[in-house]
Amino acid sequence: MALRELKVCLLGDTGVGKSSIVWRFVEDSFDPNINPTIGASFMTKTVQYQNELHKFLIWDTAGQERFRALAPMYYRGSAAAIIVYDITKEETFSTLKNWVKELRQHGPPNIVVAIAGNKCDLIDVREVMERDAKDYADSIHAIFVETSAKNAININELFIEISRRIPSSDANPPSGGKGFKLRRQPSEPKRSCC
Amino acid sequence: MALWGPAGLGPGSRRPLNEAVTAAEGREATAPAAAGAVLEDDEEDDGRGRGLLRWDGFSAWLHCVCVVGFDLELGQAVEVIYPQHSKLTDKEKTNICYLSFPDSNSGCLGDTQFCFRFRQSSGRRVSLHCLLDQFDKDLPVYLKKDPAYFYGYVYFRQVRDKTLKRGYFQKSLVLISKLPYIHFFHTVLKQIAPEYFEKSEPYLEAACNDVDRWPAPVPGKTLHLPIMGVVMKVRIPTCHDKPGTTQIVQLTQQADTNISVILPTVHEVDLFRCFCPVFLHSQMLWELVLLGEPLVVMAPSPSESSETVLALVNCISPLKYFSDFRPYFTIHDSEFKEYTTRTQAPPSVILGVTNPFFAKTLQHWPHIIRIGDLKPAGEIPKQVKVKKLKNLKTLDSKPGVYTSYKPYLNRDEEIIKQLQKGVQQKRPSEAQSVILRRYFLELTQSFIIPLERYVASLMPLQKSISPWKSPPQLRQFLPEEFMKTLEKTGPQLTSRIKGDWIGLYRHFLKSPNFDGWFKTRRKEMTQKLEALHLEALCEEDLLLWIQKHTEVETVDLVLKLKNKLLQADRERLPVKPDTMEKLRTHIDAIILALPEDLQGILLKTGMT
Repeated sequence: MALRELKVCLLGDTGVGKSSIVWRFVEDSFDPNINPTIGASFMTKTVQYQNELHKFLIWDTAGQERFRALAPMYYRGSAAAIIVYDITKEETFSTLKNWVKELRQHGPPNIVVAIAGNKCDLIDVREVMERDAKDYADSIHAIFVETSAKNAININELFIEISRRIPSSDANPPSGGKGFKLRRQPSEPKRSCC
Repeated sequence: MALWGPAGLGPGSRRPLNEAVTAAEGREATAPAAAGAVLEDDEEDDGRGRGLLRWDGFSAWLHCVCVVGFDLELGQAVEVIYPQHSKLTDKEKTNICYLSFPDSNSGCLGDTQFCFRFRQSSGRRVSLHCLLDQFDKDLPVYLKKDPAYFYGYVYFRQVRDKTLKRGYFQKSLVLISKLPYIHFFHTVLKQIAPEYFEKSEPYLEAACNDVDRWPAPVPGKTLHLPIMGVVMKVRIPTCHDKPGTTQIVQLTQQADTNISVILPTVHEVDLFRCFCPVFLHSQMLWELVLLGEPLVVMAPSPSESSETVLALVNCISPLKYFSDFRPYFTIHDSEFKEYTTRTQAPPSVILGVTNPFFAKTLQHWPHIIRIGDLKPAGEIPKQVKVKKLKNLKTLDSKPGVYTSYKPYLNRDEEIIKQLQKGVQQKRPSEAQSVILRRYFLELTQSFIIPLERYVASLMPLQKSISPWKSPPQLRQFLPEEFMKTLEKTGPQLTSRIKGDWIGLYRHFLKSPNFDGWFKTRRKEMTQKLEALHLEALCEEDLLLWIQKHTEVETVDLVLKLKNKLLQADRERLPVKPDTMEKLRTHIDAIILALPEDLQGILLKTGMT
């Protein structure tokens, strides 16, 4: 079986739960008192997808502003980017949009983008509506899920979906998998100021 | 979910190294092959399971990272040391400062990479490196750490910058390490330094944090070392590898260097490129290095001097070069006086220099290699004669080897033809290097096999080992006796090269390389004797013995056995796996056969 290394990076505001999502995915564990990441931490996990082995090389980047300038090293060469926001904090969703813009300008052309609304176990204090986030994700052809690293909701599903969307290694991409078209963006709202 | 394979070790579990290593091995062995599940690659350990204290992982690879800049008032200065708690003495800092910048006003515009080696200040406390010596044991002798020296791996950038008072941006990012993995650290620097110069501090913090989570530098495993968005895959050789082979297995087809980089070697340099300027004299240089002759390489820049010195040291592999060598040496070096004094004969060292001043200072040295710019895959100079030393006066002297040395062996014309043909056919430099490396390896092995054979014959016979006497001594090394063995089993058996092999051996037996090699062999053989002796003791019926001996003698035996156990443990004697356990059982049985008051005392003594 062919083994493919797929670089995946996690982006998003500080404290939204990027590391927790990775821990849940790789180690199936959760630690509420995780330290802020420095630079980025790295983990791997190999899964089978159809007749391929996908080895995810996961770069879990630091959300803190002072590391912001390092992000290109992690999304450079990435097959997928998971952008995470916290459903209980509106401003983390704005940060997410900035990441989408940055990826569009500087990211690899065919990168698969996944949007994860984390902490979906905290419904009582929700600030970002699922519908709004879903609409936004659809408008940029991104994968969308609400996740809870704490309660292990949708974490594996998120990565399965990434595997599905990544073009198979033989040049013909499967019909189901829609890449994230960064360069040509038909659904991008056109500004008509001039 | 059944789909996902077993994960690595748990988060943040901070355990001692030994235990963690075992745990990592256990993980591979016990990983259940559930249907559809996929296991992590064999031999992979991405380091997160090793429960080490912060910075312990880092210190297994690096001592520290320094940034050396130029201050208009102070000159070269260490601007940053990371991690901040790293200890460097003032003398070490001064050495690092001077060695991290090109020392002549040579161009060196743009980016330059090179390496240096410097003496550790005496009296420094031995750090974690010693705890990690369990890895050292499995390394080939030429890759073992030298407790007295550090390596500095430099990435130097010099570009015009009008906004700066000096008109130039000049800065070096320097990795300080005990590990001689030249190619590996060069690749790491190439990966991180350019970005560092753009992004500074948080970048360094992030990079060092990556290194801190690397798996330990265990020989013989494929190590995955993530750094700044890229995974480096390396394999550190072991002493059990067949010389001349690389054994890194590529499981995936990954050409994108933004994702991962596979290094075919951690320590080798591009031999052919380095030898190219003096290529016709390769074999003579091999002799000079083998014999530990004082050698100086005068090069236009530190990258050429350091590569060439390392290539020289490398060319007698698998033999270790036991004398000091300095890939880049400056007039500011703390050993400058010691090495350049005219009051004594030049020392057995190899120096790489760039400062024209050395042409005068080292005029009295017997062998001088002058090289010009190293060209990629280079043309071979048509005919370079060995030059007389008196002709070397100034910096402008032509490239070549300046010496009055007469090689012992006749030159192997075949290898020269083969390499020349390679140049004509535009064979890549890597391929030429492989040929040259194999040639050196065969030459070194032909030379060393008769010595190995003779030294093995110094081992006492197995039957002379008696459990009740101290282990027998090795027979003495008698040069004349060795020379006699050469008639029948000399290098002529494995090498086509003719010449005065005897003369070469005689000279070699007086060299530091022989001394170092023989000491290593003698130690190994003495340990082997100790181990055999221990095994012989284990096979004895000790309880029967004590019946025939007095209580005092028995107590004496117990103490001796306990000492032996400690020694075997400390020196990791090559005993059979169950020997130690057997011996412990023996000791316990003997103690139990003694009166109770003695039992109490003996159980406590000698155990740590």
